[in-house]
Amino acid sequence: MKLKSALSLAVAGLLASSAMAAAEGYKIGVSNTVQGNGWREEMVCAMKAEALASGKVESLNIAHRNTDAAGQLEDIRNLIQAGVDAIVVNPADPSGINAALKEATDKGIVVIAVDQGVTEPSAYVISNNQEEYAYLGAKWLFEQIGGKGSVVYMRGAAGASADSDRDAGFKRALAEFPDVTVAQETFTGWQQDQGKQQILDYIATGIPFDGVWTSGIDNVIVDALVESGAPMVPVVGADNAGFVGQLINVEGLTGAAVTNPGSIGGAGVALAIQILDGAKPDAQTVLVDPALWTNATPEGKAQLEAAADPSLSPEWPVSISIEGWTSYTKEQIIACKGPGE
Amino acid sequence: MMLLRRNGWVASLALVFATLAVVTKLIQPAYHADDFASLAGAALPYAFAVAAQAVVVIGGGIDLSVAATMALTSVTAARLMGGTGEEAALWVVPFVLLLGAGLGALNGILIVLTRVPDIVVTLATLFMFQGAALLVLPAPGGGAAEWLKGLIVGTVALPLPEAITQWIPKALIVLVVSLCVVWIPLRRSRLGLSIYAVGSSELAAFRSGGGVVRTKVLAYAIGGLFAAMGGLSLTLATGIGAPIPGPYLMASVAAVVLGGVVLGGGRGGLLGPIIAVFILRLVRTDLALLSLDPNVTTIIEGTIMVVVVMLGAWMAMRGARR
Repeated sequence: MKLKSALSLAVAGLLASSAMAAAEGYKIGVSNTVQGNGWREEMVCAMKAEALASGKVESLNIAHRNTDAAGQLEDIRNLIQAGVDAIVVNPADPSGINAALKEATDKGIVVIAVDQGVTEPSAYVISNNQEEYAYLGAKWLFEQIGGKGSVVYMRGAAGASADSDRDAGFKRALAEFPDVTVAQETFTGWQQDQGKQQILDYIATGIPFDGVWTSGIDNVIVDALVESGAPMVPVVGADNAGFVGQLINVEGLTGAAVTNPGSIGGAGVALAIQILDGAKPDAQTVLVDPALWTNATPEGKAQLEAAADPSLSPEWPVSISIEGWTSYTKEQIIACKGPGE
Repeated sequence: MMLLRRNGWVASLALVFATLAVVTKLIQPAYHADDFASLAGAALPYAFAVAAQAVVVIGGGIDLSVAATMALTSVTAARLMGGTGEEAALWVVPFVLLLGAGLGALNGILIVLTRVPDIVVTLATLFMFQGAALLVLPAPGGGAAEWLKGLIVGTVALPLPEAITQWIPKALIVLVVSLCVVWIPLRRSRLGLSIYAVGSSELAAFRSGGGVVRTKVLAYAIGGLFAAMGGLSLTLATGIGAPIPGPYLMASVAAVVLGGVVLGGGRGGLLGPIIAVFILRLVRTDLALLSLDPNVTTIIEGTIMVVVVMLGAWMAMRGARR
């Protein structure tokens, strides 16, 4: 027993020293396929901030553009060619980029998928639980309207895997409330302007509705309800700074924010560094479960007030760090500077 | 003279590509044949999109539905091959190619029947095809036969020394063969001549009995066929079908212009645009290797395109003055 622990200590020491030898600074590659969305921008900033705060990353190589799975294959292969030690990727599709991920892990590159999972078994996954995200918010909404009535269902981007996962969660909650119906289902494409136009169009039809569930395009929906003078129905959104502020300040609004931290990107970089340092996590997949804050209860209201942060961009999620994973300061993530910038 | 000028353009593009290749090797001395294979794989869907656009543009039109056609054919292929045996692909591939040609022909027929401008008709069909793709597969999914996926991965054993064959990835062979099988006979046929004639001057082609209606429809059908090849290449690369169209429309127009095809129609070929695609992909690789700010990357890509096209226009003007 003693010998065994001594041996494992020795092995750990060896691993640490070999890691030390390589610890002149890691090169970490990042691949992201949605540009110009507040959530994704926060994710990228969290990655930069974590890389900087860790002090172990020499450079970040970021492939950040609007593209599809085939384009992401190209980006990942370019990162492999650039000789990175680890790749943190927000996958465009759970299985569509497996070929390139396999090529990377075959070359000894550590691959971490954040936000959404991948089916490639050699990759690590650290992700927000998207199905639970939708279930939690939808269940709250259906209870809030008394288990009866019709709701507007404002989804994300048609065909995106996070959207289909959330749809599964929403449908699971819907099945538990047989008297709740979907009045209207729309795809906002996770675009503020589209979401606002869609809810204004629906209000203009004059058909009453009892609640709105959104896939994170939330503050513009509240704006539309206020501007059009429509009845203030309960609204479910994400923990975006703008929406959290509305839940505290807008008169007559009942709603709930479900957390979906964009700082998961920082956690992905932290996990990559941890593995490069030689400490493998117990599980290949780590799921971060969402929390729900509602202004309908005093405790929820306190949580919202604690989380609210008017200094953030309204489209940024307020959860700018993840306990136990990220190590950067608020100033660092807002500055959005990586190593060497 | 015109022939020389066109070939001059293609030659300069090839020179730009060669220079870029040297630059790449300087930035990343470890750049290897495997990496070139990655480049060819990445270029594949773009190259087919560009070929589709080029045929239509040469015929005097423009096809805004290229990316949507690729998405629709890609999800159709993925859905038909998902969960079925390896042999199913044998009929799925021809079916999807036919579907693509049919979608293209639909564009052409609508344009000649309604006399609504190409840009409006294909914008409308863009939305139709995009919606249809979501009906076929509401979320990314489906599958692809393993042997088909293998067609564009790695290299093939040719009776040549390995030092050469390793620089000839399968993806490149698939691209060259697929394009040549359609393009070379077309170029030599009456139809090919009519496409150029209609693109140069529709009225002149009509007065000399060129069969404008038939030519337009067929040009769009061939464009659709190339787009279907692009859609198939997406399914082969990713192993799935994705219903949301990728960034292939803008890229196809850009590479067509960069490749020396005149947007008014009637002039240009396929070789120039294809080399242009490889240049644009290699630029992206280089920018990735340099680890530049990703937002700057897009600006640089755009700037290169504008500069090259302006340079081309300037050269053409000088040539005309002489």
